Amino acid sequence: MSVPQYRKAAALALVAGLGFSLTACSTKSDDKDTNAGGKVTITVDCQPVGAQKELLKNWNDDVAEFQRQNPDIVIKSVSVGEQCNNPPDFTARLAGGTVTDVFYGYMTDLQQVLDSGQAMDISPHVNKDAIPTWDSVDPALKEAFTDGGKLYAVPVKNYSMGLVYNKVLFQQAGLDVNNPPKTWGEVRAAAKKISALGNGIAGYSEYSAGNTGGWHFTSLLYSQGGQVLTADGKKADFNNAMGKQVLQNLKDMRYGDNSMGARQLLQWGDLLTNAGAGKVGMFIGAPDATQAIVSQFQGKFQDWAMSPLPGQDGLAKGTLGGGEGYFFKKDLTPEQVKAGLKWIAYQKLTPGKGQFDYVRAKPQNYPVGLPQPLLFANGSEAQKQELELRKANANVDTANFAIFEATPVPIKGEPRNAQAVYAVLDAAMSGVLTNPNPNSNIDALLKTAEEKVNQLLAAES
Amino acid sequence: MAQDSGTRTLISHAQLRRGRGRFIYWALLTVVVVGFTLVFLGPLYWMVTGALKSGQEIAQTPPSLFPKDPQPQNYVDAWNNLDLAKLLFNTFYYAAGAVVFQLVLDTAAAYSLSKLRPMFGNVILALMLATLMIPAMVLIVPQYVTVIDLPIVHINLLDSPFAIWLPLVANAFNIFLLKRFFDSIPEELMSAALVDGATPLRTLWSIILPMSRPILGVVSIFAVTAVWKDFLWPKLVMPSPETRTVSVGIYAFAGGTPMNVVIAASVIAAIPTVIVFLIFQRNIMSGLTTGSLKG
Amino acid sequence: MAITTVPGTTRKPGRPTPPHTGPQRTSLGRKVRDNLTGHAFLIGAVLCFVVFSWYPMIRGIVMSFQRTRRGETTWVGWDNYSRIISDPSFWPAWQNTLYFTVLALVLGYAVPFFVAILLNEFRHAKGYLRILVYLPVMLPPASALYLFKFYAYDPSEAGLFNAILKALHLPTSQWMQSAEMTMPAMVIASTWMNMGGAVLIYLASLQNIPGELYEAAELDGAGIWKRIRHVTIPQTRLILALLAMIQIVATMQLFIEPLILANGAGAEDSATSVAYLIYQHGFFQNDLNGAAALGVIMLVVLAGFSAAYLRLSAKQD
Repeated sequence: MSVPQYRKAAALALVAGLGFSLTACSTKSDDKDTNAGGKVTITVDCQPVGAQKELLKNWNDDVAEFQRQNPDIVIKSVSVGEQCNNPPDFTARLAGGTVTDVFYGYMTDLQQVLDSGQAMDISPHVNKDAIPTWDSVDPALKEAFTDGGKLYAVPVKNYSMGLVYNKVLFQQAGLDVNNPPKTWGEVRAAAKKISALGNGIAGYSEYSAGNTGGWHFTSLLYSQGGQVLTADGKKADFNNAMGKQVLQNLKDMRYGDNSMGARQLLQWGDLLTNAGAGKVGMFIGAPDATQAIVSQFQGKFQDWAMSPLPGQDGLAKGTLGGGEGYFFKKDLTPEQVKAGLKWIAYQKLTPGKGQFDYVRAKPQNYPVGLPQPLLFANGSEAQKQELELRKANANVDTANFAIFEATPVPIKGEPRNAQAVYAVLDAAMSGVLTNPNPNSNIDALLKTAEEKVNQLLAAES
Repeated sequence: MAQDSGTRTLISHAQLRRGRGRFIYWALLTVVVVGFTLVFLGPLYWMVTGALKSGQEIAQTPPSLFPKDPQPQNYVDAWNNLDLAKLLFNTFYYAAGAVVFQLVLDTAAAYSLSKLRPMFGNVILALMLATLMIPAMVLIVPQYVTVIDLPIVHINLLDSPFAIWLPLVANAFNIFLLKRFFDSIPEELMSAALVDGATPLRTLWSIILPMSRPILGVVSIFAVTAVWKDFLWPKLVMPSPETRTVSVGIYAFAGGTPMNVVIAASVIAAIPTVIVFLIFQRNIMSGLTTGSLKG
Repeated sequence: MAITTVPGTTRKPGRPTPPHTGPQRTSLGRKVRDNLTGHAFLIGAVLCFVVFSWYPMIRGIVMSFQRTRRGETTWVGWDNYSRIISDPSFWPAWQNTLYFTVLALVLGYAVPFFVAILLNEFRHAKGYLRILVYLPVMLPPASALYLFKFYAYDPSEAGLFNAILKALHLPTSQWMQSAEMTMPAMVIASTWMNMGGAVLIYLASLQNIPGELYEAAELDGAGIWKRIRHVTIPQTRLILALLAMIQIVATMQLFIEPLILANGAGAEDSATSVAYLIYQHGFFQNDLNGAAALGVIMLVVLAGFSAAYLRLSAKQD
């Protein structure tokens, strides 16, 4: 081979090599195999991860059964991790356009999803024909996924927070399991008794990191009748008697009674880990917290019960609620949208099937009988069916949740710009829970947080 | 052999062999050996045994030295639930690819800059070196939006190993190390080869590379360490559970798992690298000590 | 400055003679071809630099003046900068990051150097000690940090550090839960898991110090500390300066330590770092543009720092 030829070959090889390496990466973005062989294929995320064995098996069984009933639809399941919506990963998928055809999101994600331009308006497609139980779905949930009169997601889960408590610890501490605390004063007294059991047990446990502290502060504030932002969403509205009461209650328990355990700066999994290990008497959470304690944190659901959120004097004046739904990726074909709706209708919105298949869930290691997911409007046909099935197959003592269900506390959603506000409020929570100085000033903490939130909102608009 | 390695250091050998010096030397050596073992090996012992404790035992005061009721199940859970085999495979796959890409492309570039010296070579080198002062964090956002939609070709590299391999090639430090090393190879060798009619590629392959083994070893070690130690970048560009690296996987997993299982996963994740390290430690140590920063 | 050489090769002083000045005739065509070949070898790395380094650099600056909402990008002037600066965590983040950088210089920089000096004196157990020091580097960073978080820094008396302190009848600490201890605790963990590499590099440069220098110093009556000051440090100055630079750039990017040890912000924002703030804005708050602006600010700060550094080191020479 002569010299110049050889060089050219080398140069070509390099260029070609690089070019190849770049094109070789066109991975999943363009498998739009919609109508291969007359079949409609859709990808759906939030498949349970391998560790959640029974949940995963249920999901796969549902897919198989659904495909048997609908031979022209192929469901490709995608697992996106233990938490289906972990903000950084979710942002990455949205920004990168790698969300699945039908993708999971929280109610509070609507704005971000719209900003990314990844979701499609599904209002023309969603009706009683596509989803038989659609008219029974709570209108408030539909509203939460609606923007400018257009619907962007189908709600599949809804929750509100209450007081979750460990019955075993209650009994050991000589507390009445059937008469859980109704006010923060009673919570404090109960927490004191439970933490007196020793062994590193916290009577009451609370978050203060990873934005979860701000999230729970919001719920605690709602219980006092307060709100995080003013009605127009332009100013902080927690630096007042109600906000102070929230922090004072925590401070009294943390340093007055020392009944909140030594470990603070907890975020989601930390608290539930402790709860699973039997080290937490009470915490506030949604009913599905008990599910997570079982499926991920080696706990027993039989140990847990739930009551409505306590208030300062008497029951809470409000509680934090939220929900989840499935969005549809832009540019799907009408057939794909139809197939996606059909799948959601089957797996998420049909009493007796999918997530409502209580017969299947009963013998499994999952609680049946929890007052959730509260998808259907009160008095609707679907709600009655669901309720009957749930009662018939309950494997937890429904009496433990009866008060929670019978005493509806008004539900409020999350504030605007929730994550940024929560990040600020985390500091107030961690300030109260980690600063042993008795003179540490709640007023100052709230004032700082207020200034910060106002700055943030001003810069935002 | 270590006893009389000739070279004089801070304190002379003679002083250390005699009376008081000898005593101090041995006392200090004992203290250091014991201390270092406690400081560096102790935590690892704590980790291995801690992962065997039950949730209750971990929270116990004071902590127990040996697990009273060992729970090997934690290790089994960690292995299964976290899909550690997959995570480890991913990490080694990315590391191997990073080595290949950096060795091929950076060596070629350094060779060109050092020996072929094309036009604007110095400008290019200067531009490359300028990036040395730019920490990864500064570029993380624009780099990320670039990777999810490559300019002109509009390819999305999320979840593709190229999202890890290619940015690592843009490593001015490696090119600098390689170039300095190549610079030190006598020019006469090059000219002689050219007279013989060897092409630049041939010269690189049969003259330069064989002489450059130490520096290539160093670059490889750096490439592996970079992949092994990096966290935020793989976390961002590998969002799917199937494509995660070990470190990111453990972090993602830790949010929803009891801590003894997280620690068990950490132990398992560390075993392969520690083994690889112990096998190759002679090479790695000598590579790091003789090759790096000296070329 | 010390010129280091590679054993077995000789280094020509000054610029090496250009290639192809042999008997061949240099024609225009030949020159073009040589250039093309040269660039062909460069192209792979250069493309990677273009796509993943130079272009993102420019794009980051452009992005910091834009805002993308609902798929539409508009120019917003300095809005992103004012938003990021008015972020309540902005100043704490800088304060924390600089504090960490300084602490890490004191601890994470000096400790490996003295460990290396110590190890260099030993004639026994050399290999064992080196492996020990390097062992933590082998752990995935997340693993090492969880080890600290769960065992060492547990604020109750079940924690390892507190158990030791208690056994010694010393006051225990809340570690990551105490705003004062957050940074020192992060520096300790960070140093433990990263110092192996630095120790090995120092060891290499210590072995290059000619023994005669120590002998001469000793004859002059210099004690151990004097010898370290007047022989060891000057002889390793180049490496010391280089590693200081690398370490400062690395510590300014503090991210995984607060993320894992402090669950992000820590007690009252005591752990928030600039890098963590970039991450918060970009990936939690749906604000990639604000994050890009913070990236540019960080770049300016580091550029200023490097300029100052170069000036200082130029003066010293």
